[in-house]
Amino acid sequence: MSEPLSLGLLPEGLRDVLPPQAEAEARLLRDLLDHLRAHGYERVGTPLIEFEASLTSGFGAARAADLFRLTDPISQRPLAVRSDITGQIARVAATRMAHFARPLRLSYAGPVLRIKGSQLRADRQFSQAGAELIGTDSAAAVAEVAGLAIKGLLDLGLEAVGVDFVLPDLIGRVGIALGMTQAEIAAAAEALDAKDIATVAALPHATVFSALLKAAGEVPSAKALLAATEGMPAIVGDRMGTLAELVAVLPVDPRLSLTVDPGETRGFGYQTWIGFSLFAKGIRGEVGRGGAYVIRRPDGSEEPAVGFSLYLDGLVEAGRGVEVRRRIMVPYGANSDVGTWLRAEGWATVAALEAGDIQAQAKDQRCTHYWDGKTIQPV
Amino acid sequence: MVNDGIVMALPKGRILKEVMPMLHAVGIHPEAAFTDESSRALRFSTNVPGLSIIRVRSFDVATFVAFGAAHIGVAGNDVLMEFDYAEIYAPVDLGIGRCRLSVAEPVELTAHDDPKSWSHVRIATKYPGITRRHFAARGVQAECIKLNGAMELAPSLGLCRRIVDLVSTGRTLVENGLAEVEVIAEISSRLIVNRAAYKTRGQELMPWVERFRLLVEERNNAAAA
Repeated sequence: MSEPLSLGLLPEGLRDVLPPQAEAEARLLRDLLDHLRAHGYERVGTPLIEFEASLTSGFGAARAADLFRLTDPISQRPLAVRSDITGQIARVAATRMAHFARPLRLSYAGPVLRIKGSQLRADRQFSQAGAELIGTDSAAAVAEVAGLAIKGLLDLGLEAVGVDFVLPDLIGRVGIALGMTQAEIAAAAEALDAKDIATVAALPHATVFSALLKAAGEVPSAKALLAATEGMPAIVGDRMGTLAELVAVLPVDPRLSLTVDPGETRGFGYQTWIGFSLFAKGIRGEVGRGGAYVIRRPDGSEEPAVGFSLYLDGLVEAGRGVEVRRRIMVPYGANSDVGTWLRAEGWATVAALEAGDIQAQAKDQRCTHYWDGKTIQPV
Repeated sequence: MVNDGIVMALPKGRILKEVMPMLHAVGIHPEAAFTDESSRALRFSTNVPGLSIIRVRSFDVATFVAFGAAHIGVAGNDVLMEFDYAEIYAPVDLGIGRCRLSVAEPVELTAHDDPKSWSHVRIATKYPGITRRHFAARGVQAECIKLNGAMELAPSLGLCRRIVDLVSTGRTLVENGLAEVEVIAEISSRLIVNRAAYKTRGQELMPWVERFRLLVEERNNAAAA
């Protein structure tokens, strides 16, 4: 028999969120969703659990290793808990909203669950929110989506926000343009992903790949360096030109840094021509990511899309969204108009349910102030 | 935690002795307490404003850098392979701390051992991740007993018959009646950089990466000449 469980113990990677963090998370989410709605993104909701086969096929296909599985007692089919919402949005767009005009702008938010935490975060459940623009993956579409993500993060009051663009299919195309074999391309991609300078320098067409490695940094300087490199396939200039135009229309803010890493592909296996990672000062690892991808429709046809997701838990952990709301204790039997007036003034009112020492009651209820019948008094 | 300065993580012990001359050569001079064996301090300032150094166990260097608590560091690829952190870049092979990660077993066992027939092996190692993956790739299930040191004792005391450990000269193996039967990987120390820091603080970090790279290149050229 296993040991009796302590009542407060939760399984690894899961936790209760208490005030004020729970409030902070709700607020961040509300702000972000309002921001998306204001830009024409309509909210959709998808279930927590689906047929496993739907979650593991198509874009954003959850890695089978991430999924919590169970068997549906009703249909007897294998079910899984979602580990990512993006794939569900793609499914909705490809089926129930297939007949809606494109581009289709959708937003979503909700908890996701993974079987194992990542190396950086032990959490198995976290809160994902984002937007998807379906029907196009043009530079204008990417600029709109990246701009929304950036503006959303900046509006949360972060000290510094970084966006790092990657061009996931670029290395493959460069390799083909240079007449390399698939094995050679894979070796080049691996060396570039590790940023292994010496190995990259030993690759065939080393000048091209070394330049792609060295170019990582701000977009204009990267573009100039790549343009000045001899033997650089034309696709690189094309892509960097598109990226430069795209970046030029993004929000301007002293807190924002925009970079490109043209040699990197890792972690962007599903994205097509462009992907981006979002970083924020004070938050470990990425705060979100996005990019262009392809949605497969039930009839086998495909359509392009672009989107981004943010993971709110990191933001909450870093202390974002916590607002100290003034809390005031209102005595038992006080006129209800008092409460209405105080709330209109921005107070959170806590009503005493019995007569007593109002000051002691206020302290017990973690109030900062109390109503003495006539005025607001600090505790 | 937010660090405004740059934090460099270095491994204690053998590798540190080889790193120090390179550190000086690129222009980083830690405060005197750093080389004082009796100092109990863990974090040290340097002559470079905003650059501090922490001295931790080699496995912990990778952990500090992966989590972004340190931005740059020096770690062997044994450690990098064991954890396979997606958050670490390894831009420069420093060419120090050279050794190999190998499978070893008692000399008398090698005479009649038939690796082709294995379905399961029991192995004492500090590297259960690499060991499991290495054997799994050839269809052998490796049951790993995690030890933190003195792996060579395990076969003679009957803990298990095989070990996976770092081998440099092979003397310790011989002294313990063991023979190296297979090399899993060649090991050397790498300059490593946290992924998020590389992206967001490239301007501060890249000059250091470049100096280490040039240093290695000069040394390799000198060796070739």
